[in-house]
Amino acid sequence: MTGATVASGPEPIEAPLESAAESPRRRFWRRMFRNPLAVFSMLWFVTLVVSWLAPDVLATHDPFKQDVTLQRLFETPSADHWLGTDQFGRDLYSRVIYGAGFAFRSIFIAMSIAVGVGVPIGLFSGWKGGRVDRAIMWVNDVLFSLPIVLLAMAVIIVLTPSLTNAMIGVGIAMSTRFIRLTRAVTLAEKEELYVDAARITGISTPRILTRYIVPNLLPALVIQAAIISGAIILIGATLSFLGIGANLDDPDWGVMLNRAQSVFRQEGVWQIVPAGMALVLTVLSFNLLGDAIRDALGRDAGNNALTVTKRVEVAPAQTEHAADAVLSIRDMDVEFPGQGGKISEILNGVSLDVRAGETLGVVGESGSGKSMTMLSALGLTPAPGRMTRGSVQFDGRDVTNLSEAEWAKIRGKDIGIIFQEPIAVLNPAIKVGSQIAEPLRIHMGMSKADARKRAAELLAEVRVPDPERRLDQYPHEFSGGMAQRVGIAMALACEPKLLIADEPSTALDVTVQGQILDLISEVQERHQMAVILITHDLGVIAEAADRVLVMYGGQVMETASAHDVFLSPKHPYSRALLETMPQSHDGQGELPVIAGMVPSATAWPTGCRFAPRCGFATDACTSSMPPLERVADPAQGDLVQADLIRCVRHSELGLVGGTA
Amino acid sequence: MAKYVAFRLLAAIPLLLAIAVITFLISVAMEARGSIAGQVCGEGATPECISAVEEELGLNDPIPVRFGRWLGDIVSGDLGSSLLDQNTAVSALISERIWPTISIVSFSLLIGITFGMLMGIAAAIRPGGLADRTISVVAAGVIAAPGFIMGMLLSWGIAVELGWLDPVGYVPFSESVVGWLKSITLPSIALALPTIAIVQRQLRSSMANALQSRYVLAARARGVARTKLIGRHALPNAMVPTVTVIGFRAAAAIGLTTAVEIVFGIRGMGEMLVTSIITRNVTVLQGGMIVVGLTVITVNLLVDISYGFLNPKVRLSR
Repeated sequence: MTGATVASGPEPIEAPLESAAESPRRRFWRRMFRNPLAVFSMLWFVTLVVSWLAPDVLATHDPFKQDVTLQRLFETPSADHWLGTDQFGRDLYSRVIYGAGFAFRSIFIAMSIAVGVGVPIGLFSGWKGGRVDRAIMWVNDVLFSLPIVLLAMAVIIVLTPSLTNAMIGVGIAMSTRFIRLTRAVTLAEKEELYVDAARITGISTPRILTRYIVPNLLPALVIQAAIISGAIILIGATLSFLGIGANLDDPDWGVMLNRAQSVFRQEGVWQIVPAGMALVLTVLSFNLLGDAIRDALGRDAGNNALTVTKRVEVAPAQTEHAADAVLSIRDMDVEFPGQGGKISEILNGVSLDVRAGETLGVVGESGSGKSMTMLSALGLTPAPGRMTRGSVQFDGRDVTNLSEAEWAKIRGKDIGIIFQEPIAVLNPAIKVGSQIAEPLRIHMGMSKADARKRAAELLAEVRVPDPERRLDQYPHEFSGGMAQRVGIAMALACEPKLLIADEPSTALDVTVQGQILDLISEVQERHQMAVILITHDLGVIAEAADRVLVMYGGQVMETASAHDVFLSPKHPYSRALLETMPQSHDGQGELPVIAGMVPSATAWPTGCRFAPRCGFATDACTSSMPPLERVADPAQGDLVQADLIRCVRHSELGLVGGTA
Repeated sequence: MAKYVAFRLLAAIPLLLAIAVITFLISVAMEARGSIAGQVCGEGATPECISAVEEELGLNDPIPVRFGRWLGDIVSGDLGSSLLDQNTAVSALISERIWPTISIVSFSLLIGITFGMLMGIAAAIRPGGLADRTISVVAAGVIAAPGFIMGMLLSWGIAVELGWLDPVGYVPFSESVVGWLKSITLPSIALALPTIAIVQRQLRSSMANALQSRYVLAARARGVARTKLIGRHALPNAMVPTVTVIGFRAAAAIGLTTAVEIVFGIRGMGEMLVTSIITRNVTVLQGGMIVVGLTVITVNLLVDISYGFLNPKVRLSR
């Protein structure tokens, strides 16, 4: 067979969710201020800074002033003492306020050491690489694995107990975190082209590090620093609580808790509340701040295969299903909600039919919606996408609104799917044999032994040598071609009525490609299976397809018999695709390409979606979207075989394509 | 697999050596500040006493010689004697103190891993759902609260107010199994709460990653039911990073148990370490550090071995 590739790379199934119009800085702050937890942390942070810089403004009493009158000890909150008093009659509210200063001093000392030691060592280690790097990282890993409290204790015993010494210990222990992070970023950045370029132009190493690497390090560093600040306060308080940190009279939160510890069982739990709350809220707000910064910088990863998107009413299709089709889709729209309520329409009015024994080829460039059509038809629309209009019929049954449990009975049994990345679709932690046996056990109710026997037979059928041994291997022991055979074996295990093959041969080399396609058509002939073959390889279509569906911009552009599409394509896009085939080229000059790019789903052009790239476009093409029309064919009144076209000029153009 | 374990065991030896060096350096640093002999002789030490002690402890020998001697002693199980009481062997002290600590740390890990995993899975099943949001908020709060605060609250609420358990004290296993279990319950829960939250957060995020993977989509396309997608397809893969975090947490728990032991009046390793710092009893601290280091290395080994079980690639490639 021959391979003609229109566009390379697997078709991405993620929908574009955000437009890049907003500046990164603005978007960061907008996200931060829209996150209530981030706002809470920032407010708490401001309060702490005021308490630290101007404690007298907030405090109502002298934090050291004792009042040993018996009635004034262990008070609960009152008008005079807002948070009560401790065992020396000192005002707990004022002590908590003054405690903020100790917390910030702790962070300042420990963080200066952690960053001051960690970042330079990390930069050096990552930049040097090789043996030096390995030696440094080995020592670092040893220190990293030891409990921080213990490392701090080692420093404290040498330097004698005090808050400053405790924080020196914590800072040294925490530097291991910054060494790791900095080194990882440096290693990655070092390989970047612009760093290479800077090196070649003779910019000095320190300059490269500060100008190119540190700026890329900053976001990760800020997130890490926020979270580590929380940890520093936590460990500082623990050490003070243990009596090996701050001085035992100081209004430090850890010391206050140490004092409360000895009396709370007799004098009431209130004693631990003021300092405890201050400590917990402070650590919490640092952690929340770290999370919020990360979320605001990155994309949100909230959805997965099990996310149930809110069910929406699926608007009915306007046209009837073909009665004899195995799979029949009518007028399917699929939408993805994006940022700020913007909705991307990934599929628009997609209709297709495939009958028993027939092969329908689906072609189009990457991003035209081929894979999305198949996933959505089977109820596998990736979250948060959803089908909003249309109707899907499988084997005479309306499956548009099937529940996940009902779908599970059909998928794998009556419908087999072959995915485009053969290794990625195999679970790395499960033996290949168990994975092939899975549909047999689920759908055919086979015993473990029977399923294993059948799995070996299936592997032999798809010509995997030594199937018995292969069953006990893991996916990483398979080559791409062998893994794809496993994928085919799994898809065909239950002899499905419909096989959907999504780029089954794209990732494989040319000789393997042919074998895979032959395998599929062999099984098809035996079981009269319907096949949908998704590809951007027109050579594959020419060889295997009976009918062809051309997709562009999430729409069907043309559907006709393979013969008609190759000999007389009616749509300018079909014709453009054909012209990019090496077979239709005379060998002189450059291979033509379709000028321009597939537009993004957030910004479809008005009118015909192909018009901006179409050589035949007129004003009529850009003013309104052309409808998907039936091509009049007097011999066949039946809708299934009726050829469809979405082009206002198709009758006047009378295009003639190349030969394949 | 046996080869893999053997390789990991060998790799632990230099790690042990590194911990020994770090521990040894503590006494070198203290001596440089003139602390050790001064500590033995007590306040108002005479120069005669100091030089006699330095002679006796061999502090005048070159550092490599001292390190060799010290290491040899440790390997033969001799951790020296307490600086404050020459008759108390550090190893005897540790063997008395280690059981309460081991009990609390292991029980807390058991609780932490079990509940952390359950809650992590519960949150991952429906990201953004009610369970996920509730657990996330509680977990964020719990991570921010140190074990000793949780310990005080538990001691007050469960023991003092409700009277269900004793607020302080430790009952040895040999004395009464039920009593032992009762005495370690509250400290273990206090220490376990942050572990639950940390394991939950990690598992939630790695489950979310696994559930977004192509192999889960493919399994769904084969008709694999929801419960099996979670338990059979996503969980084993999501456990790899989670086990790493559990390892870190186990090491941290060994350090953080100190404060919890003090809240519950349990004389374990933690209390021993704190006292040794306050009294500057360096041999006791060193002994404690060696034992903790050994424990951390053992935990790391267990983590590495479990990688081998979870990830077939790791097992075969080494």
